Amino acid sequence: MKRILNLTIAVLICMILNQTVVMASSHREAPLISNDPLADNTDVYAFRSPCDTNKIVLIANYIPFEHPAGGPNYYTFGTNIRYEIHVKNNAATMGDDIIYRFTFQTTNEDSTTFFNIRLGKENLKTTYTLERSMNGGATFTTIITGGRVPPPNIGPRSIETAGLGLGYANYDSLINASVNIASTGEKVFAGPADDPFFVDLGGAFDVGGFRTNGRDGLAKFNCHSIVVEVPVSTLQKSGKNLTQATSILDPEFVIGVYATASRPQITTFDSTGGQPTNNSTWVQVSRLGMPLTNEAVIPIGYKDKWNATTTGSEGVFDKYFKNPELALYMDDSQYGTAVPGLAALRIQTNSLGAFDFRNGKKGLYVLKGNPALVGTALDPALYGNYLLPDSVSPRAVDLLPIFQTGVPNLPPYQLATGKPANSPLSVGKPFINNFLPTFGDMLRLNMAVPPTPRGYADFSSLGLVQAAVLGLTDPRYNFDASLQNIPNMDGFPNGRRLEDDVTTIELQAVGGVVLAAVGLWYDDYPGTGSPVTPQLLNVLNFNAGITHNDTTLKSCFPYVQAPWRGYNGAAYVGPMSTTVPVTFLDFTATKAGQQVQLNWQVTNEINNDHYDIETSLGGGIFTKIGTVAAIRGGNVNNYQLLHTTPALGKANYYRIKQVDVDGRFAYSPIRLVNFSSGNIFTVTPNPATNYINVYSDYKKDLDISLYDVMGKKLGHKITNNGTVIFDISALAKGIYVVVAENDGIRIQTSRILKQ
Amino acid sequence: MGRKVTKLRYRKFCFLLQFAVLAINFQVHASSHREAPLISKDPLADNTDVYAFKSPDDPNMITLIANYIPFELPEGGPNYFNFGTGIRYEIHVKNKTTTTGDDITYRFTFTSVIQDSTTFFNIRLGAQNLKTVYKLEKSTDGGTSFTTIVAVGTVPPPNIGPRSIEQGVGLNSNYNTLMTNAVMTATSGEKVFAGPADDPFFVDLAGAFDIGAFRPEGNTTNAPKDGLARYNVHSICIQVPVSMLQKDGKTVSQASTILDPDFVIGVWASASRQQIRTLATDGTASYSGNWVQVSRLGMPLTNEAVIPIGSKDKWNTVHANSSSENQFDKYFKNPELALYMDVSKFAGAVPSLNALRIQGNSLGSFDFRNGRKGLYVLKGNPALTGTALDPALYGNYLLPDSVSPRAVDLLPIFQTGVPNLSPYQLATGKPANSPLSAGKPFINNFLPTFGDMLRLNMAVPATDRTSTDFSSLGLVKAAVLGLTDSRFNADASLQFIPNMDGFPNGRRLEDDVTTIELQAVGGVVLAAVGLWYDDYNGSGSPVTQDLQNVLAFSAGPTKNDTTFKTSFPYVQTPWRGYDYTVKPRF
Repeated sequence: MKRILNLTIAVLICMILNQTVVMASSHREAPLISNDPLADNTDVYAFRSPCDTNKIVLIANYIPFEHPAGGPNYYTFGTNIRYEIHVKNNAATMGDDIIYRFTFQTTNEDSTTFFNIRLGKENLKTTYTLERSMNGGATFTTIITGGRVPPPNIGPRSIETAGLGLGYANYDSLINASVNIASTGEKVFAGPADDPFFVDLGGAFDVGGFRTNGRDGLAKFNCHSIVVEVPVSTLQKSGKNLTQATSILDPEFVIGVYATASRPQITTFDSTGGQPTNNSTWVQVSRLGMPLTNEAVIPIGYKDKWNATTTGSEGVFDKYFKNPELALYMDDSQYGTAVPGLAALRIQTNSLGAFDFRNGKKGLYVLKGNPALVGTALDPALYGNYLLPDSVSPRAVDLLPIFQTGVPNLPPYQLATGKPANSPLSVGKPFINNFLPTFGDMLRLNMAVPPTPRGYADFSSLGLVQAAVLGLTDPRYNFDASLQNIPNMDGFPNGRRLEDDVTTIELQAVGGVVLAAVGLWYDDYPGTGSPVTPQLLNVLNFNAGITHNDTTLKSCFPYVQAPWRGYNGAAYVGPMSTTVPVTFLDFTATKAGQQVQLNWQVTNEINNDHYDIETSLGGGIFTKIGTVAAIRGGNVNNYQLLHTTPALGKANYYRIKQVDVDGRFAYSPIRLVNFSSGNIFTVTPNPATNYINVYSDYKKDLDISLYDVMGKKLGHKITNNGTVIFDISALAKGIYVVVAENDGIRIQTSRILKQ
Repeated sequence: MGRKVTKLRYRKFCFLLQFAVLAINFQVHASSHREAPLISKDPLADNTDVYAFKSPDDPNMITLIANYIPFELPEGGPNYFNFGTGIRYEIHVKNKTTTTGDDITYRFTFTSVIQDSTTFFNIRLGAQNLKTVYKLEKSTDGGTSFTTIVAVGTVPPPNIGPRSIEQGVGLNSNYNTLMTNAVMTATSGEKVFAGPADDPFFVDLAGAFDIGAFRPEGNTTNAPKDGLARYNVHSICIQVPVSMLQKDGKTVSQASTILDPDFVIGVWASASRQQIRTLATDGTASYSGNWVQVSRLGMPLTNEAVIPIGSKDKWNTVHANSSSENQFDKYFKNPELALYMDVSKFAGAVPSLNALRIQGNSLGSFDFRNGRKGLYVLKGNPALTGTALDPALYGNYLLPDSVSPRAVDLLPIFQTGVPNLSPYQLATGKPANSPLSAGKPFINNFLPTFGDMLRLNMAVPATDRTSTDFSSLGLVKAAVLGLTDSRFNADASLQFIPNMDGFPNGRRLEDDVTTIELQAVGGVVLAAVGLWYDDYNGSGSPVTQDLQNVLAFSAGPTKNDTTFKTSFPYVQTPWRGYDYTVKPRF
C-alpha cells in the first residue's frame, strides 16, 4: 500500500511537471512525415530476449516501404537526422532516463559510377556514431564511433562476387560483421532489414474494409532497423539484475520505451546540389511508442502535431483514448453497421447489466464514489480522477492507461479468475504490471516477466490477450488467483515482441476485450455459467486480416531478418559476338629445374597482336614477365616462354593475356606450378579478415575443413581442382587451421591468421 | 538546288549554335526514379519521367506528360500519396533557338484541405482529407510573367478501394468518373489533367542495378521483373495544339515535310522548392526564400545511368545555360555504360550485355569505344564537307578531339537533337561503305540549344497504336524498317516510316527507352547510318550477327504492366489499393 501511495505521489508530480517526451507506430501515418520517409519512425519493439534472457532488446524501425530493388540510390539512413531510442525507468525523474542517439554519415568510395557498388567500392556507404545520455539528454557520451551499416542487399553480383562487387560469402556475413559492441556493453546493429510489421493496409484504410485473408501491405518491403540489446541491470533504475526481482511482476522493473527522429529546425537547400545546411536547433518530426497510436487513434487534424509533441503536452490527446474513433465502428448506435469488417467486435453496452462503454457513455463512472472502489486502482485516493474523470469518458478506464501510464497489478486490472461472480473490483489473478505513471505514449515493459520460448506451443502473437485467455480458461492457470507465469505475459502491450499482432490486439482492446478479461463481460453474458460467451468468442476469433510477418525472424541478435534481396535467381548471360577470339588449344606450365617452361598452342589468330605472359603468387594480382609477338597466319601456332625466376618455395600461377591489334584482350586459363612440393593447396589471403580462398589443383575430391586452435570444426567444403571460399568474418581474431583430406587421409594442414 | 538551300539552312543553324554557346540561358533536364542521392529523400519533388508525343487520336495535338513521386504503393494509407504543397511542378517547352529562356512554361502549384479533421481515414462519409486542387499558370516570356489559365483544378482522390470511392460510406461515385471530371480545359485552350495514375514506366530495377545483371524479355534463365509494376505515380498531363507549340503558330498542315525543322520542340520538366525549410515544434513546416530547382528531367535515364553519383545532385539543380550544362558533356562523349560493352574494359564482367559490343573496327577504320578516336580520324577530310560533321556548319561540337568517340552520336541525341543531314541518315540509298553520303532521312529533331531535353519534331505523324508496325523500340524500329523492309528500303526518298514518332524523337508512353538507350550506347545508331559492326566483312548484308544481337537485345520488360487509355490523359487509372492484382516487383 505504501508503494502505491508513493506511486500516487509520483503521478501527481508528473501531472504538474511532466517532462517526458513520448511517442506512436506507423508507416506514413501523418501528413508531414509521409513526405519525409527517411525520418519516418515506423515501429518500435521492446522485449525480453528469447536468446539471452538477461537482456532486453530495443528496436526502432525507420523508412517505410523500401523497395528491395530501389536503386540506383538504395535506401539508407538520413544524415542530419537524430534517430533516438528513449527509455524511462524512474517515475521520480523528469526527463528520459536513458537516451540512445544515432547519427549517420555517408561517403562515396567511387564517385565515377552510377552503380551503388562496383569493383569492391561502395557508394553512399554509411557509418554511425552512437551516443548515450543518462541524464535526460543534458550530456551525451559517445559509445560507438564508425559503426558500420551494411550495404543494401542489391544482389549476388554486388554482394558476393569478388572483384566485381564486395566479395562477401553472403549477406548474413555482412550483417554479422556489422554488429558492434558499445563501450558501455550494449550490442548494437543499425542497417536494412525485412520490415517485421504486417498489416492489411488496403483493407484497413478503405474505411475499415477489414477482411479475412487480407493482403500484407508490407510484404517484401525492407526498412532500416536500429537494434540495441541491453542488460536488464543497465535499464533497471537501481541497477538491479533479474535475480533481484521480487516477483515476475516486480513494479521496480518497468521501463517505458519510445523512439523519435529529429531534424534541424532550419534547412537551407543548396542551389547547386550541395548538401543542405542546417541550424543547430533540432525539432522532433516523428515519434513512436505504442503501435498505431498516430495511425489509427489520433485523427488527421492532429497527427502532425502529435509527432512533434514533446514535453508535458500529451494530455491534449487523452480524449482520443477516452472516446476513440475506432470505437464508433464497433457500436451499432454509431457507424457500426457501416463497417461490416469489424462486425465481430461490439463494445459492451450493458456489461453485468450495469456498464456501457460505448463512446460518450458513463462506463465505470457510475461507480464514482462507491466504497467498493476503495483500495482498487479506481480509488481516487490512489490515482486521483485519472481513470474516472467524468461521465462521458468510458475508455479512460482501459485504453487510456494502456497507452499512457501502463496498467498496475491491482483490481480491477486482474483477471476474473479467482474473482467472485460479477465482481470485477475484487482481487483476481495477476497478469500484468507495466505501470510507470509518467503520462505519455510509450511501450511499457515489465522486464521481470520471463520470455515465452518462441518454439513453444503456447507462444501466441496475441500477446497479453492470449495470456488472459489462458489465465481464464486453461486448467494449468485458471484454478486460483495466484501469480503464475502465464505464457505470453511478455507480449504486447507488456512491451512488444516482433511477432505480436498488435493491429488485432488493439482492435480487440478497443472492442472491450481487456474489460472482459477482468470480468466486465460482454452483453450476452447471462450472469451465470461460462462467461466465454459467443460475443467474447467472436472477439477472440477476430483478426485484422494478417497475423504474422511474411518471413521468419532471426532467433538471436539482431532478431530482425536479413533484408529482402533485390536480384534473385540465376544470372542471364547474353550471346557472344561472332568475332571469334583466339582459341587456346593448350597451355602448360611445367617445372624445368628451378625454372618454369610455359608452352601454349593457339588457333584463329585474326587481329592478334601479341601475348603478355603474367604470373601471380596468389590473391589475383598478376604481373607481366614477358611479351611474345603474334605469328598470325597459319592454322595452329605454338609459342613458348621460359620463366627463369619463379618464386621458389611458393605456388606460382601463370596466365597468358592475348592482346588484339585494337587493344582488346582475353586471358588463357590459369596454370599452377608449385615449388613447395608438399603444398596441395594454397590459402589466400593470409592474414585474412572476411574470407579465405582455398585453392587446389588436386584432381580428386579434397575435403577442406576449417578448425579453430582448440580443434573445433568450423566449416567444411569439398573442392576438386578449384577454389572454395570460407567466410571468416564472424570469427574472433586469431589463428585457425585449414586441413585438406582425401579419402579420410590428412594430406596437408595450413595455419591462417584472422585479423 | 535543294542541296544549296539545305546548306544555307544549316549555315544558319551553325550561327545559331554559336550564338547559343555565348548566350544560352535556359533550363534543361532527365528521367528517373530515386536517381540522385538528395532527391531520393524527397519523393514528392522527384520527377520520374517526361513524355512528349503526337497524340495518337488527334494529329493536331501534342501531349506533354510529367510524372512525379516514385513507388507509390496503391494501398499506402492512411495518408495516401499526393502532390506536395510548396512545390512548383513545371513543364518547360523550347521552340526557338533565338530566345535564351524557355519559350513556354507551365507551372502547377497545389493546395490541400482537410474536410473532416476528426477521422484518421482519408475518405469517410463523403468527406475527403488532404483533398487537393491546383492552380496552373503559363508563361510565354521565359518565366518573367505568368498568367493563370486554370484557377482551381481538381485532383482526383487516391483510388483507395470500393468502400471509399463507390459506397455511401465513402464518396458514392466511381473512379473513372472522378478521373474524367478532373480533366480541365485551360482558358488558353489546353486540356489538363493532374492526378494519380499507373506508373507507365517499366524497368528491371533489380537486374539493372546489381552491376548490370540485365534479364531480357523472353530469356529462359531468369525472367525480368518490372520494378515499377503495380505502383502509381502522380501525373501532370497537358494536351496542346501543335500551333500553340510551333514557334510561329503554324499548324501541322503548314509543315513543309514530315521532318520540317521548324516544328521541333524541346521539352523538360522540373520541381522546385523554396530554399529555406523551417520546422516548427507544433508539427508544421514552412518554406521561404528563393526557389531552387531540386529535380529535372528531359531525356530518360540521363541522371540515372549516365551521370555518375558524384555529379547527380548537381545535375538536378542545373539551370542549363550552356556554361553549366556542358560540364556534363564528357559523360556522353565517353559514357560509363560503354565500359560494359567493351571487352578491353569491363565487358567481361557484365555478361548480360554480351549482345552489345561497340564497334571497335567499323568499316575497318573506326573505333567508337571509350577513349578512342571514333570518326575523329576523318577530321580535316574533305569528305566531311556538307555533312553535319563539317566544321563550317557545326564547329567542333561533334568531333571535338581524338578521345571523344561518342560526341558524334550520343552527345547530339541528348544535347542538341539530330539534324536531317548525313551522316545522320539511314544507310539505305548510300553507296556501300559510305556513311557520309546522303541516305534515307529518318530523323530531324535538331534544336541546337545545348541541354538535356526531349526533342520532338511535331510534323512527324503518329504511328497507329494498333498497327502491326507499331513498336516500343521507337526510332530504332523505324531505322530497322528503313533498312530492311521492302516498303521502305527501296531508295533514299523521305517516307513516313512507322515509329519515326518514337523515342528519341520525343517519347511515347509505350517506348522502351531503357532498351533503346542501351542499344544506342552499344552503337546501333552508328550502325543504322552505315557504320556497321565489326563482323561486317565489307560486302553482303550488313545485318550481321552482331547487329542482330543488338536488335534482339532487351533490357528487361518491354512494356508496361497494364494498358494505356486511347485518349487523353492516356495514362491509365491508378491501381486500386484494396484489391489490385499483385505482381512481383523484384
